[in-house]
Amino acid sequence: MTTLVPLGAFIALSAALFFIGMAGVLVRRNAVVILMCVELMLNAANLALVAFSRRLGLIDERGSVFVVFVFVIAAAEVAVGLAIVLALYRNRPTVDVDEVREMKG
Amino acid sequence: MLPAEASRVADAIDLVWLIAILPLAAAVVNGVLGRRWLGKWTGGVATVALGISAALGVAVLFETIGLGHEAKRIVTLYEWIGVGDFHVPVAALVDPLSATMVTVVTVVSFLIHVYSNGYMAHDRGVHRFFTWLPLFVFFMLVLVLADNYVLMFVGWEGVGLCSYLLIGFWFERPEPYVAAKKAFVMNRIGDWGFTIGMILTFFTFGSVRFGEVFPKVAEVHGVDPTMLTVIALAFFLGATGKSAQLPLYSWLPDAMEGPTPVSALIHAATMVTAGVYLVARSTALFAAAGPALLVVAIVGAATAVFAATIAIVQFDIKRVMAYSTVSQLGYMFLALGVGAPIAAIFHLATHAFFKALLFLGSGSVIHATEEQDMRRMGGLRRKLPITYWTMLLAGGALAAIPPLAGFWSKDEIVGAAFTNGYPILSGIGVLTGLLTAFYVTRALYMTFHGEPRDHHLYEHAHESPAVMTIPLLLLAAGSVLAGVVLGFPPEGGFVHRFLEPAVAVEGAAQHAEPELVAILGLAATSVAAGLIGIVLGLAMYGRRRPDPAAVSRAAGPVYTLLRNKYYVDELYDHRFVELMRAAFGAAWAFDIHIIDGIVNRLGWVAGLVGGGIRRAQTGVVGNYALSIAAGLVLLIAVYGGYAMGVLRR
Amino acid sequence: MLDVIEPILFGVLALAIVGAAAGVVLADRVTTSALLMAFTFLNMAGMFVLLGAETIAAFQVLIYVGAITVLILYGVMFTPQAPRAYGLFFQKQTPAGALIAALAGLPVMVIAFAFRDTANIPPRGGDLVPLASSIFTDFAFPFEVASVLLLAAMVGAIVLVKREERGSGSAGPNDTTSPEHSRAKPVIGRARE
Repeated sequence: MTTLVPLGAFIALSAALFFIGMAGVLVRRNAVVILMCVELMLNAANLALVAFSRRLGLIDERGSVFVVFVFVIAAAEVAVGLAIVLALYRNRPTVDVDEVREMKG
Repeated sequence: MLPAEASRVADAIDLVWLIAILPLAAAVVNGVLGRRWLGKWTGGVATVALGISAALGVAVLFETIGLGHEAKRIVTLYEWIGVGDFHVPVAALVDPLSATMVTVVTVVSFLIHVYSNGYMAHDRGVHRFFTWLPLFVFFMLVLVLADNYVLMFVGWEGVGLCSYLLIGFWFERPEPYVAAKKAFVMNRIGDWGFTIGMILTFFTFGSVRFGEVFPKVAEVHGVDPTMLTVIALAFFLGATGKSAQLPLYSWLPDAMEGPTPVSALIHAATMVTAGVYLVARSTALFAAAGPALLVVAIVGAATAVFAATIAIVQFDIKRVMAYSTVSQLGYMFLALGVGAPIAAIFHLATHAFFKALLFLGSGSVIHATEEQDMRRMGGLRRKLPITYWTMLLAGGALAAIPPLAGFWSKDEIVGAAFTNGYPILSGIGVLTGLLTAFYVTRALYMTFHGEPRDHHLYEHAHESPAVMTIPLLLLAAGSVLAGVVLGFPPEGGFVHRFLEPAVAVEGAAQHAEPELVAILGLAATSVAAGLIGIVLGLAMYGRRRPDPAAVSRAAGPVYTLLRNKYYVDELYDHRFVELMRAAFGAAWAFDIHIIDGIVNRLGWVAGLVGGGIRRAQTGVVGNYALSIAAGLVLLIAVYGGYAMGVLRR
Repeated sequence: MLDVIEPILFGVLALAIVGAAAGVVLADRVTTSALLMAFTFLNMAGMFVLLGAETIAAFQVLIYVGAITVLILYGVMFTPQAPRAYGLFFQKQTPAGALIAALAGLPVMVIAFAFRDTANIPPRGGDLVPLASSIFTDFAFPFEVASVLLLAAMVGAIVLVKREERGSGSAGPNDTTSPEHSRAKPVIGRARE
């Protein structure tokens, strides 16, 4: 008898991680930290994908394939996002998102 | 169509549209090239075009004579409007009536164009003059040739436009353009009547073509006679506007601000006769329209005597002629109203000749003396002989002295009024004849006879050049001969036989054939009235017995009333124009405050809403992320609701 | 024996993940956040192994811990800020933000527990071959597109951070880097405030 960790646990963990990341995006001021939290959210998604892919009983690798693509996207996104933050920092030496209000109105 | 007709070669009637297009072409050429290149030669271009048109017009007339009793042909160019049941072709109706009008218009226009080459030679705007004048002839010809009301209206409006352009020809001065505006606005009021008539005609008869409307009149009369009266009165309103009858007449005297050839052509011989032509053409309609004809007759007679009374106290030679025109047009409408359309057209034709001559002669005097006020003239017959003798003949024709043209036509009108049962109107006609003879004698005497009252003027006066006097001579010939040739014997002359099929009305009341005694008696009365007028004029102005100044003092208030033209202009200005100004002011205020106000308020509301929504754009990226997250919460709530059965899909 | 360990391993890893994630959000210094994030990634890799997706776990370590963490650390390095008081590094909207995250998260977590896996589960391990066959046959086109995407992101990132050369015109009044034009080296570790 194998006592497997139930699928729900994985999904709940994924949800917890996702919403912690979201809280971080909504709460922190530093733009780089926000980017980090976004990465956390992406990870949570990956976990959910893999869990469903492996545990739902279909011989289906599509979940994992999608995860590979999510890796790619996440990497690209971090690169570009940091480029933007750096350009912003160059313009005025701040990465505080509350201070950057040029788009007001 | 008879086989013989089908195989004939093209004749002048087929080319009838060319008569109208030639002046149009001249107008376009002069308009485009006149200012820079043609200059004075615009006159030549226009005159040549008009000459060819006149020749063609006479050819068409002869052919129409040759067509015999059922004389009527329609020459179609193309279908202009074809919408459902509403068809308006550009087509010419060639019948005796229109052929007569075409001849009068083109021949008189041609002579006036010749004259204008001399009269307008030194004017700065001569190229403009010879653009608008042939354009006017074009529109007049469209009006006269049209075979349906809509095309006629095109010509109707067009002549109104050209009249405006030509009255205001010397627009650097304020009086001409004010007069032009007045003419156009008053015409417009009449045009409104014409339009209503046109619309009602279409709805009642299902067509606007003469050939389709008039045969149906009897049928409609059985069904809805009041509609016929309404239509007739609406058209008559248009005629009063265009032909300067009461109450829309006061533009015509003011129109004398335009150059004299314009006054001669437009305001004597052609445009103002358009109203007469309209009613004559619609004889079938009017005959069945009950009281409409009586209205026409009364208005005509009233206008005739009204205008004549004003003419007797005017000092400007052109104004005398203008009121005379209004008065003579009244005669024509009187004729139409008493059921003698042929007499009306006959008088139209003779009047065109002698009135144009009177105007052109006045123009000659003005050209010679640079003056229009007769009080400063006098004794000019020695200096301007040709002008004098031709004007004398024309004046005699106007006063209806036999055997000049005016006698035959005017006498026929007065006679017809009497024999057709309108003795009062006939009497008014006779009285007006007396006044007419008086004022024309007065005018001619003051201008040409007696001692010159302004010697400087007199010294510099000179006879006009041949280009101006030859048309005078030709018109004088017409004034003398036209009456006898065309209208003798009365009621049985050539013109009567010729025009009869065009204005005949089926089933119209046959008027009693007047007896010879009656005819002669009436003729004698008219002549007597004319002679009395002449004698009175000569006595007052020649021998000063009674002295005119004394008479006017004695007649005090009456004289002032006449002198000020019955204060009609002031009345119109005070009543109507002020009313219109108030209406305009109200409309403007409405536009500014309410219409613009609504738009401005809407804009303000949009701004307000925008300002409110704008507060969501904080520019802080975190806030935007928060709103995304909030949306997510909403979604979760909704799906949770579905899942739990709280919300239905 | 493996069966007994699995739930324990899961528990440990889960706690580590959640704890580290919370640490990322709440840590004092940026660097701390970054390193905790890396720690999260490592534990995630372990989670993948637990699920039997070893290839994915390998990728996770390579990409996330290896590349993305380094990128983030570079970002931290190039954007030095003066240290702030703890309270000051939360956004103004923090109460609202925290509330919404909780509102969204708690129900979802609760519902998430309801998922059950099916009866027959493929054996653990050996996920490389199926994954590779899928990618290079069924999903070859998205794979190529993904490489183009990476290329585009790379070019974009370079363009975004490129410094203007001296005299080539687009230095505006906000450009605080003009004294550095002569030097190509980036600014390191200087507190600017």
